[in-house]
Amino acid sequence: MDIEALGNLVQLHGKAIYGFCYKLAGNKADTDDLYQETFLKAIEVRHKLDASQNPKGFLISIAVGLRKNNRRKWARRQRIAPIAELNEAVDKHSWPYSNETPEDAVLSQELRGMIQAAADRLDDRLRIPLYMHYTAEMSIDEVASALRIPSGTVKSRLSRAREAVKKMLEVESL
Amino acid sequence: MNESEKWDRLFKEALASTAEPDEELNERMLNRIKERSRRMPVFRKRISIAVLVAVCTLVMSITAVAATQFFNPKQVAEHLGKDILAKAFESKDAIEINQTVASGDYSYTLHGIVSGAGLEEMNSSAQTVNPARTYAVLSITRQDGKPMPATSDAEYGKVPFFVSPLIKGQKPWQVNIMTMHGGYSETVIDGIMYRLIECDGLEMFADRGVYLAVSSGESFYNSEAFAYNESTGEVKPNADYKGTSILFDLPLDKAKADHAKAEAYLKKMRNEPSPKTGADPETASNDAEADMVKKMDELKNKIPDGEIIPESVKEVTYDDLGRAIYEYDGWKSALSADMLFTEGQTGYSDAVQFSEANGNYMALQFARDEKGVITGRVINLK
Repeated sequence: MDIEALGNLVQLHGKAIYGFCYKLAGNKADTDDLYQETFLKAIEVRHKLDASQNPKGFLISIAVGLRKNNRRKWARRQRIAPIAELNEAVDKHSWPYSNETPEDAVLSQELRGMIQAAADRLDDRLRIPLYMHYTAEMSIDEVASALRIPSGTVKSRLSRAREAVKKMLEVESL
Repeated sequence: MNESEKWDRLFKEALASTAEPDEELNERMLNRIKERSRRMPVFRKRISIAVLVAVCTLVMSITAVAATQFFNPKQVAEHLGKDILAKAFESKDAIEINQTVASGDYSYTLHGIVSGAGLEEMNSSAQTVNPARTYAVLSITRQDGKPMPATSDAEYGKVPFFVSPLIKGQKPWQVNIMTMHGGYSETVIDGIMYRLIECDGLEMFADRGVYLAVSSGESFYNSEAFAYNESTGEVKPNADYKGTSILFDLPLDKAKADHAKAEAYLKKMRNEPSPKTGADPETASNDAEADMVKKMDELKNKIPDGEIIPESVKEVTYDDLGRAIYEYDGWKSALSADMLFTEGQTGYSDAVQFSEANGNYMALQFARDEKGVITGRVINLK
């Protein structure tokens, strides 16, 4: 794969990769680093990238791998912030789900923040497939291929992730 | 829209990314990649001699260039600058194998083997004595998909590999790549390590059974990795060994076996008198080894007039195997202290390593003080 081909990949998938990296990293500086490291790493293993049928999924899996290495220094910081955000959002916002259907609910800034914060508290096993599917817009099969797990397992983890987030939202609203 | 679909839409909206990479970031990133691709490779030839080791090993390290899949033996030889050998790998005499075995953290593929005389441009003393040589190409990858460290990487060499032919019926610690005037060249391309090994011709042993042994953790034959059955002559990997221990069968052409030649070769190796000639054991000396030692001595004589690189003078560290580890500017050495110094010896070691790049020779020498502290230093030879 040459520089031109890599440039095309950046054009095609850069936004999805960056958005995913942002979910993992949480701030611009670290996201920029993770994003760059992902593509730099991709060049090193480009024989696998070329062979892969799904370059976006492959790039995401590189980002996940790189992120895992940096995970430890993040764990402390991230554990505190989302809970504070979630509590604040709950205090300011009356929970709509008791009276309204999700279809009718306006996805307010606070609610968006609550769902994001709750998602961020999930264990990686559930969190990463969730972000791959909803943030990087990968299909179930693409997620399965990138994580090298069966599609059924991806579906199960997504379902559990959604249930866990819902539970957290319900608990916080009490 | 059912409940599940509604929640799905909610999650999609809530978790959709609003962050985007800016143009400047993308440009900076692509420039960094272009810069990495442009860097010139560094060639370094390493020559190593230790008093207690019978044969020297020649190692060449070259940094990675572009490749999108496994290189075949011809391509590996070309990459290492061995054009005649590259052609030989394409000839009808070459044996294509492409067999892969996974063991421990790594996956090993034996790509191919070829034998013959005059297959290298460089006329080494080993080839003068035994013109027929055998060459084989093995690649090593990590099972977790991570790349093997490039030769310029600090991690390179931290996991040593022993790759050697072994002959059924011959004690592996006596008959292996080291004692068969062998050596290897190694390169890492796109995260795959390729090792091109060479040694005296193996075809004469074709009717006995020849293996290619691969083990990790030591650069030399390790009796913990393999078990030798004295009665059957078979070599088997030790299942208990924590690391790689595998054997490939080498499918040599039995028609090229030569029992008499093989026996004469083995007797010469063991310095036993041949029953046919009744030669004096003292004259059955290893000429190739003597030539190599002479070359090393010439370089060693230049050390007193050499210039020590001040930043290179540093104390060695020790790994889990108790080996003395020295690293400086890409030069890595892992040697047992027993190989460097005899008991109680202080001062400079007789064991020296040499490195050559673009005609400039350098030496790595070790010293031990009265407290037993070992330091290494790199010396620029003039």
